[in-house]
Amino acid sequence: MRFQIDDVTVYFPYEHIYPEQYEYMVEMKRALDARGHCLLEMPTGTGKTVALALSHRQLRPRQPQQPLKLLYCTRTVHEMEKTLAELRFLYDHLPSGTRLLALGVVSASSRDSVDSSCRRLTASWVRARAAEAPPGTVPSSVLLPPGVYTLQDLRAFGKERGWCPYFLARHMVNYANVVVYSYQYLLDPKVAEIISREMQRECIVVFDEAHNIDNVCIEALSVSVRRVTLDGATRNLTRMTQEIDRFKATDAGRLRAEYNRLVEGLAQRGNLPITDAWLANPALPDDILKEAVPGNIRKAEHFLSVLRRLVQYLKGRLDTENVETESPIGFVASLNSQAGIDQKMLKFCYDRLHSLMMTLEITDTDEYLPVQTVCDFATLVGTYSKGFSIIIEPFDERMPNIPDPVLQLSCHDASLAIKPVFDRFQSVIITSGTLSPIDLYPRLLNFHPVISRSFQMSLTRDCICPMVLTRGSDQLPVSTKYDMRSDPGVVRNYGRLLLEMVGAVPDGIVCFFVSYSYMDSIINSWNEMGILQDIMQHKLIFIETQDVVETTLALDNYRRACDCGRGAVFFSVARGKVAEGIDFDRHYGRLVIMFGIPFQYTLSRILRARLEYLRETFQIKEGDFLTFDAVRQAAQCVGRVIRSKADYGMMIFADKRYSRQDKRSKLPGWILSHLRDAHLNLSTDMALHIAREFLRRMAQPYDKAGVGHQKTLLSQEDLKKMSEDSGSMV
Amino acid sequence: MAWAGREEEETREQEEGMMKRGRGGGARRGRPGRVGACYADERSWESLQEDESGLLRPIDTKTFQHAQYRRRLLLRTAAAAGDSGSAAPRIQRGLIRYLYVVIDFSRAASETDYRPSRMAVVAKCVEGFVREFFDQNPLSHIGLVAIKDGIAHRLTELGGSPESQIRALMGKLECSGDPSLQNALDLVHGFLTQVPSYGHREILILYSALTTCDPGNIMETIENCKKAKIRCSVVGLSAEIYICKHLCAETGGSYTVALDEAHFKELLQEHAPPSPAIAEYAVANLIKMGFPQRGAETIIAICSCHKEPKVGGGYTCPQCFARVCELPTECNICGLTLVSSPHLARSYHHLFPVLPFNEASVAPLNSYQKSPRTCFSCQQDLLNYGSKSSLHVSCPKCNQYFCLDCDIYIHESLHNCPGCESRRESILS
Repeated sequence: MRFQIDDVTVYFPYEHIYPEQYEYMVEMKRALDARGHCLLEMPTGTGKTVALALSHRQLRPRQPQQPLKLLYCTRTVHEMEKTLAELRFLYDHLPSGTRLLALGVVSASSRDSVDSSCRRLTASWVRARAAEAPPGTVPSSVLLPPGVYTLQDLRAFGKERGWCPYFLARHMVNYANVVVYSYQYLLDPKVAEIISREMQRECIVVFDEAHNIDNVCIEALSVSVRRVTLDGATRNLTRMTQEIDRFKATDAGRLRAEYNRLVEGLAQRGNLPITDAWLANPALPDDILKEAVPGNIRKAEHFLSVLRRLVQYLKGRLDTENVETESPIGFVASLNSQAGIDQKMLKFCYDRLHSLMMTLEITDTDEYLPVQTVCDFATLVGTYSKGFSIIIEPFDERMPNIPDPVLQLSCHDASLAIKPVFDRFQSVIITSGTLSPIDLYPRLLNFHPVISRSFQMSLTRDCICPMVLTRGSDQLPVSTKYDMRSDPGVVRNYGRLLLEMVGAVPDGIVCFFVSYSYMDSIINSWNEMGILQDIMQHKLIFIETQDVVETTLALDNYRRACDCGRGAVFFSVARGKVAEGIDFDRHYGRLVIMFGIPFQYTLSRILRARLEYLRETFQIKEGDFLTFDAVRQAAQCVGRVIRSKADYGMMIFADKRYSRQDKRSKLPGWILSHLRDAHLNLSTDMALHIAREFLRRMAQPYDKAGVGHQKTLLSQEDLKKMSEDSGSMV
Repeated sequence: MAWAGREEEETREQEEGMMKRGRGGGARRGRPGRVGACYADERSWESLQEDESGLLRPIDTKTFQHAQYRRRLLLRTAAAAGDSGSAAPRIQRGLIRYLYVVIDFSRAASETDYRPSRMAVVAKCVEGFVREFFDQNPLSHIGLVAIKDGIAHRLTELGGSPESQIRALMGKLECSGDPSLQNALDLVHGFLTQVPSYGHREILILYSALTTCDPGNIMETIENCKKAKIRCSVVGLSAEIYICKHLCAETGGSYTVALDEAHFKELLQEHAPPSPAIAEYAVANLIKMGFPQRGAETIIAICSCHKEPKVGGGYTCPQCFARVCELPTECNICGLTLVSSPHLARSYHHLFPVLPFNEASVAPLNSYQKSPRTCFSCQQDLLNYGSKSSLHVSCPKCNQYFCLDCDIYIHESLHNCPGCESRRESILS
């Protein structure tokens, strides 16, 4: 079908369009016209991807000759693949003559090792040594035929032609219309420059599933140093010293050349081959790049001795018995007095190290991770005086007997990492299923969206059923409040709730707990009370652990139990890996129970420091931020069960505090609109009754198109009528 | 011929009659709402509404019910038209069915969300269903299987007599243990592979539980059923289960979930009319059948089914002259299928079913010469029919108008349109 948005004709690959999809595209168009950033909340399963891709292709008719890019950032590889599958469908169905080249780029998790293994093959000096051009390089004239390429496709294509898929991808990023990759490629300064350097200003940047974007930003700029890191760094330094000695004996000219280059300043690193350009730091102020490297670290040996002193100093700091919190300024001052390293030297550590590694022709960069971490740390400490703090903890709060000293440089200001993105690109779109309250994000990220809007989900039937459960069947309140959570009555009521639900809900049930320790203790008590055994009569039980392999295995078996009809319960933790990235759609999750409100561990020093910073800098109250953060996690957890409109699922918020307005109002609109007043203050038996009714109702056949005025699928005529109506109203 | 067209409408009158007979023949309970049988779920105040003058009157559910009925009717016709590929409502149906009804008597069947318990409701509905089934499929066979304690066991063998089936079912009413879908499917699969190839193999599972505890991989079992061309349908009592949905989708059956007791009965009855024939079976082939004569009233003979002497009645197999008590059946001695000619003849008018009537627009008052004020068949006033609903329908062939009651009566019992019939006479004369 095709329709008009303002004056632009849009070709839509499906026969029908969801109303919210249409509105989404209209808003997108406005944002693009206004050349600003926007913030859009729309639930999953409403066709965001298609809307985004189409808007990018078709809503910008003014410069058709200029190949504009859509940079689509996803959080997980799984989501990336889903997006690409959708794009492929789009590509097949768009009118011919539309060229679309979409690329999925290697996931960030394996990036380091991939990068270094590729580098081992393709670095120019290795190439130079080989007699002829090795098969690992891509001729710059190569173009992929238009189409949609996933990671596998790229790999297959690379294999066929004998090209390295990673470098092929990096090369092709410049020609692609749509690039799908992970957040790190834009946000993490360490990675961003490799991939994202050559994108034009007009690119549209989309952050999908962006409800946690502030945390990603913070993580990108936070460094933690442990004893292992420091030991590794010492080893690295020894090896580098040996290398330097070797070079001095064989090729002293090389070191001299590097020295000269550094005198001229880091910005003129152009005499290195372009393919080998190491990343620079986009989060650094420009003047660093223009400045010359300070004299006392220009010589390789001097630089190494500075690093050695730094490592030594850090080791000394880690030996402390007490928890220490310090600001970067104080830290730099004490570093200066005790180790004789000033701020300027610190600032240049990162770039200086990479220049050195390049000179030393070091290819196995992942071996050198510890020293890189230390340099990272040094550069960040040297660069930023605000928005950071340094926290040294001699042991983990929860296990005070095991010494595990860690020095953390934690970033408090999410806007620091994302600032370059906002500055560099004209339109940044932040979108997710849960962005409520939508006015908080611009404050956290410090930007001004031209459009921020939350969309409703149009449904043919009430296929989501959120409930707030405040009491057990004995009418006593349930909560995970700290003073109540270990009360046997509460534990038993929670157990009874699950037991009743297990008997009434088919296939899969997912339970989220507020923390691993809470989950452990409550499972223990349930075991003693015999509740677990009763549950096992109905369904099998699977538990998420901190071990990734174990959890993957548990998930796999959970799915199998759901498939074969045995039924299963999955115990998981809010903020865990499962809550973030795994979908429990269709029969894998008919019910999700959120036991308690997943507040962050409020005694954590990092969190305290961040809260203080937020209050002082952005005037966000501690309580507000904590509630916002907890409720968005809860919403994220329960949102796992609904991934499309044909799906259905129930959500139980089991805590009396959810019935309070300040908590509840922070839930996203599409959940709130289905949360009826009658479902706000339930006890277990009432919830059970509602669940039974709901499941029976949902099992009935239904009309997908929707009836009457509440249309959920719009055809071409409907849209025409709509636009005429709005036109006549104006 | 082994098949015949058959319009698939349940007859309410018949059903009523069944229930009455059933009560005499060992039914445990009467219909709900009688003699204090139902109490808790009967919220009688909810079936009242206030009209504009403030008077209480019962909610008019007639329109709603009729809408539901019409939807079903149209759905079936549409499905049939889709199958045959033409608009003609002549449908080939597998008339010789071998159906196993699998009843879940696991722990979940003791739950009391249906009153008095799921088990009792299921048993009662199955009783009605068995009677209705034999009424609609005179040439078919039914068998009962129960799931209990993780295993499945056969209550009755495939047979043609409703009474013996019901007796076996009612004798075994208790529930315990886990359910196992796979065991039940395996068991029935073993039985159904032995039935003759012209018969339609079907399983109807009435599933109370929400889980299944299986000894092996149920997917393989489903695959086996699919290969053996066994059509599996499930009626659930509580919620949609993925594995049941998968089973039905794979084997071409239907999966429905009941909202309450009445709905459950309705869903069950939907399985009584024969389903459209599978294309491979639709080839006409000849099946040997015997049409036994009814014995004279005074003759005393030993019947071959009960092995005891009986006076009068009974039928004599035309091939081996053995005596059987009931029709239809298979002769115990020579294995010949025995039917009576009315069984086949009854199907005749189902070959030419009445077309579904069109819903007429809500009585255009100004043009009443076009839409008469009375129903063509019962002469009731259409505009003031019943309470206030003025909905009515018209036959697409003769364009006569009918009230809603007559619509149901014509399609479900009469199978002839009075308008068309009288017109034909006038044309002939």
